[in-house]
Amino acid sequence: MRRPLRDPVLLPAVLLVWAAVALFVLYPLVRLLILTFWNEGPSLDAVTGLVRDWTNRSALINSLALAVLVGGAGTALGFAFALLTVRANLPGWARRAIDAVVLLPLISPPFTAAIALIFALGPRGLISYHVFGLTKVNIYGLWGTLLSETLTYFPVAYLTLKAVIANIDPNLEDSAFSLGARRWRVFRTVTLPLATPGVANAFLLVSAASLADFATPLILAGTKFPVLPTQAFLQITGLYDMRGGAALCFLLLVPALAIFIGQRQWIERRGGSFVTVTGKVGATTRVKSLSPAAVVALGLVCGLVVTLVLICYLLIAAASLVRGLGADNTLSFAHYAHVFSGGLKAVRDTLIIAVLCMPIGGLFAVVLGFLVARTQFPGRRALEFAAMMNYALPGTIVGIAYLLAFNDPPLALTGTAFILVVCYVFRYSLAGTRATTAVLAQIDPAIEEASASLGARRDVTFRRVVLPLVRPALLAGMTVLFIRAMTAISATIFLVSLDWSLVTVRILEGITNLELGQASAFSMLVIALVYLAVAVASFAMRRLNAGSLGQAGTLLGG
Amino acid sequence: MTTTGTRLQIDHVSKRFSRVGQSTLAAVDDVSLVVEPGELLTLLGPSGCGKTTTLRMVAGFEQPDDGRIYIGDQDVTELMVYRRGIGFVFQNYALFPHLTVFENVAYGLKVRRVPGRDVDRRVSQVLELVGLPGYERRFPNQLSGGEQQRVAVARAVVVEPRLLLFDEPLSNLDAKLRVQMRAELSRLQKQLAITTVYVTHDQDEAMAISDRIAVMRQGRIAQIGTAEELYRAPRSEFVAQFIGRVNLVEGRVLDVTGGRMTVALWGGSVTVAAEPGCAPGTRLSLILRPESLTLVPETTKAGATDVLVLGTVRSRTFLGEKVEYTVEVAGALLHVVTYDPAHRGVVDVGARVGVTCSAAAARPLTSS
Amino acid sequence: MSVKGWCIRLAALVGALLAASVAPAAAQTINVYTAWPESLSQPIFKAYTAKTGVQINFLRLSTGELVARATAEKSNPRADVIWGAPGDGFAAAKEAGIIEPYRPPTWNLISAELKDREAYYTAVSKNTLVFMSNTKLLKEKGLKPPTSWNDLLDPAYKGQIQTADARTSGTALTRMLSIYYAFGKDEEKAFDYQKKLHKNVQVYTKSGGGCTVPVGLGQTMVCVAHMPDAMEAKKKGYDLVVTFPKEGVAAVIEAIALVKGAKHRDQATKFIDWTFSKEMQDLLDKNDVYMLPVLPGASIDTNVQSLMREAKLLPVDLDWVGKNRKRLVERWVNETIKD
Repeated sequence: MRRPLRDPVLLPAVLLVWAAVALFVLYPLVRLLILTFWNEGPSLDAVTGLVRDWTNRSALINSLALAVLVGGAGTALGFAFALLTVRANLPGWARRAIDAVVLLPLISPPFTAAIALIFALGPRGLISYHVFGLTKVNIYGLWGTLLSETLTYFPVAYLTLKAVIANIDPNLEDSAFSLGARRWRVFRTVTLPLATPGVANAFLLVSAASLADFATPLILAGTKFPVLPTQAFLQITGLYDMRGGAALCFLLLVPALAIFIGQRQWIERRGGSFVTVTGKVGATTRVKSLSPAAVVALGLVCGLVVTLVLICYLLIAAASLVRGLGADNTLSFAHYAHVFSGGLKAVRDTLIIAVLCMPIGGLFAVVLGFLVARTQFPGRRALEFAAMMNYALPGTIVGIAYLLAFNDPPLALTGTAFILVVCYVFRYSLAGTRATTAVLAQIDPAIEEASASLGARRDVTFRRVVLPLVRPALLAGMTVLFIRAMTAISATIFLVSLDWSLVTVRILEGITNLELGQASAFSMLVIALVYLAVAVASFAMRRLNAGSLGQAGTLLGG
Repeated sequence: MTTTGTRLQIDHVSKRFSRVGQSTLAAVDDVSLVVEPGELLTLLGPSGCGKTTTLRMVAGFEQPDDGRIYIGDQDVTELMVYRRGIGFVFQNYALFPHLTVFENVAYGLKVRRVPGRDVDRRVSQVLELVGLPGYERRFPNQLSGGEQQRVAVARAVVVEPRLLLFDEPLSNLDAKLRVQMRAELSRLQKQLAITTVYVTHDQDEAMAISDRIAVMRQGRIAQIGTAEELYRAPRSEFVAQFIGRVNLVEGRVLDVTGGRMTVALWGGSVTVAAEPGCAPGTRLSLILRPESLTLVPETTKAGATDVLVLGTVRSRTFLGEKVEYTVEVAGALLHVVTYDPAHRGVVDVGARVGVTCSAAAARPLTSS
Repeated sequence: MSVKGWCIRLAALVGALLAASVAPAAAQTINVYTAWPESLSQPIFKAYTAKTGVQINFLRLSTGELVARATAEKSNPRADVIWGAPGDGFAAAKEAGIIEPYRPPTWNLISAELKDREAYYTAVSKNTLVFMSNTKLLKEKGLKPPTSWNDLLDPAYKGQIQTADARTSGTALTRMLSIYYAFGKDEEKAFDYQKKLHKNVQVYTKSGGGCTVPVGLGQTMVCVAHMPDAMEAKKKGYDLVVTFPKEGVAAVIEAIALVKGAKHRDQATKFIDWTFSKEMQDLLDKNDVYMLPVLPGASIDTNVQSLMREAKLLPVDLDWVGKNRKRLVERWVNETIKD
């Protein structure tokens, strides 16, 4: 379609967004590429040494294998949970309880799950030793990492699949029953095929999360199971080799982008239907697709996982409430006292930054989503692709790239809160953008045309019509940004400064400095704040009649 | 609230859409037409004929690839939608779901920065006009389809547009309401005297409300004229088929004299106005409207002023005031409508009948 | 609420928060990057602030993060002083050109093995390595605390030793140097030993102190760590016993350096001068830092001293370390931990 750019508002808006993306996504990456592959001329010398290193070669394979395994296990577990909560006619309180527990690993700071798992299942762990008396447990390596990442990321699959399964009309299953099919057959021939796109999407989301995770392997993988993000981190911080580390990250970029594009295409082909309003169903027909035996089996599996997650987090809570877990188990509020005295600045900084991110990132996400979904301009696809680069890249590399790009005047942003805000905004706005696209897909473009026909310029239309209508997406995007700003660490570890520190960095410090009590207390605080945010957002969502978007958490994975 | 009508001129406008993996498709192909001040012109045609695309180019939602569009003296081809001064009524109304009826109708006025007191006055005036006084504080989802339609119209006319554009505005309403609403729209349009372009695929609707109708086919205007002109003198088989029901029967020219020609039909002949280029021996199609055919007993003989053919009744649809028959005649099917069945009786399916046609009712269609 | 009102409120909020974020800093400040835990560094910084009124902003980073960061910031440095990081980090910093030579007045009093020859960096304190074992686990297995490097090779310790990963931790370098010097500077023997030790190692932790809590909790039996980390865990109340290998342990340095192009150079050099004063050097002992001071005559007569009496400290050749560190780590990765 040949449509000239003649809209007096569209052009500046597109230019503005392009400029922002170019400045805060492309420019830092270019700086990093130059650093890595330019040594008085184009050069691969940063890479040659790495290829010889056996750990790096096996790290690539390990990373991919781990991503596939975690994707499979996490999706299976997520599917089990989704079936149980959607199809097993559980009482409301049980469903809410499962949702609350399942959200825990998703919203807790990195490291927390891994450390808790060592407490629970490690050598002399609460479950492994004190309950089962096992003495030869080895949690370090592939299995420990797999378990920890599965527990951390299966909620992404669960939230995605819950929406998918809930959207499968039970009447379809009923009609299969009416044709004389038995339960298992109905499940195999009706339910499962209908859920397949959702399952594939969940698999890709979980795999991508695993591929980018460096915190869990750092603690649990040990030397026998090197993975790429951790290797990149070690290359930079252990061998003082920034070029090598960056090169490793670029290696990681290939599978990460492949997954990302695959997942995006998947959604696009299905028209983003996992958030489509399908109208109310289910009230009329009681779901019968699960036999009592299947419900019991699912209940056992999910119950086990819920118990494990609960134990892990109770251990964290316990660690925050005693003087020194395992050494001096007397009740003490000393760690919380520290959080609210010495740690108060970090808490305050984090909250300020998280709150700053919300309107800026939310608006950016909505504007980008609107431009991509509703307007035509040259380079629209490229803009969309560029805007999600920071999301697909491992955090370490984004952090280093930002440090390189924004240290010198006129763009001397390092050391300010601004660089942290910008980093979060351009890394975690994707959820908001996707939510916007999804909401817009449900809104007839004629509504915007009506506004234009009544004499409203594009910006007026956007402000008076689009923005109010995409409020649920804006809210979802802002909630995800808040959660990420409260819990993310990989990119920002390089961006915190003398003036601006973050709670997550304090948690990491606590863990490396053996101040587990303090780390746990900080973690509990973050979890409490995020729960509060999610509760407020869910409440607001209900007020906005945005039931179709479900919990803000649904979007965390995307 | 009177608007001196504005003239709309569409001048050689074309629009092509390209789809991925397909060649470009001409949605609108060299369309030219003029809508006189205060006139209601309908673009009529089957789906995909380019009528909506033409309307959307007039509105400015689409940009023509070629040609110009003028509203009054102004060339608006390059003008943004919001500066064209139009009112657009959408097929699904496109009311702002988050605004009340009042806010919906006031939207265009507020965007134009009309002072608050005037806004109140004009909104209540126009709501009165569409028959919805007292609906100001309701939300669109609290309205019936017909009410939403009225709000959409009110919202479009309250800004006193130079041009009013309707895109199949009645297609989402049930049949009874549609008939009622089209009368109201027609009344309103006459009252406001706003130049109007109306898109529909429903010929009844088009004939009921239009001053003139432009029948479109495959991106082109097939014929333009009043409803009566189109019905009486379709210039193509397509128009003939689209406006009302029609029987096309082939005949051969026997003789051409003094602006009249004699055409052989069903063993007899009819005399019709001569068509240019017709000579004895030329084959052409004759238009026989179903209502000008009559069923007669099998034994009837052809009269001096009509022609007769024998056939078998294949189907019958009883519609109260009329009966529709299909009659098989020499392998072809003829549509016949008879009125007042209560008095004139009905013929059974399978019956052998004669079909007569008054020689004056036949019209030639140039086979082109 | 109208969208407009909502937008205005939002803008006001953002404005207020942005204004808050650029609040002016205190008049006299020094910015310090340190690898030391807050519990060790902060009392010292506070003492300096109390004495001079100069505010010390510090950011705690692991040594590797610290160097990576300072390198990226090279053209517009944010820190004035790098304080409290192992010598190898400074060797990398010197190579990266992010620090500049500075000699405090007392520089000549500090012995040569504790400072860079060109004065790019100078030790603040001497640090060393200990074995710490879980008393209860030892008793369960009927073992005595290890007192020799070779004790750690006992199959009884299989999967029961935690220590640091050479790629992330200065502690691991200290361990490698300790073994190197303990085996008479015979690199082949040293790596042969490490390969054997690897069989007993449960996991290599990211940070040097990463094993101290696991050993306290009984997740592992023995942990090889720097002394301050070990003593910190002991202070928390874990039932631990601290021993030294009789062959000796390397004495490594925790150093300080002036950042090249420091924005507060005057204040920074004054602070460095103070670091090498008796007043500050005494604090190491007074604050239970469990490191040895570098200034002759500084106080050393409490806990540290009594512990150190058992330790055989092996001096380290800083030049050799600087030149060979990377090679040693790579050899460790490609030889020791490769199965």
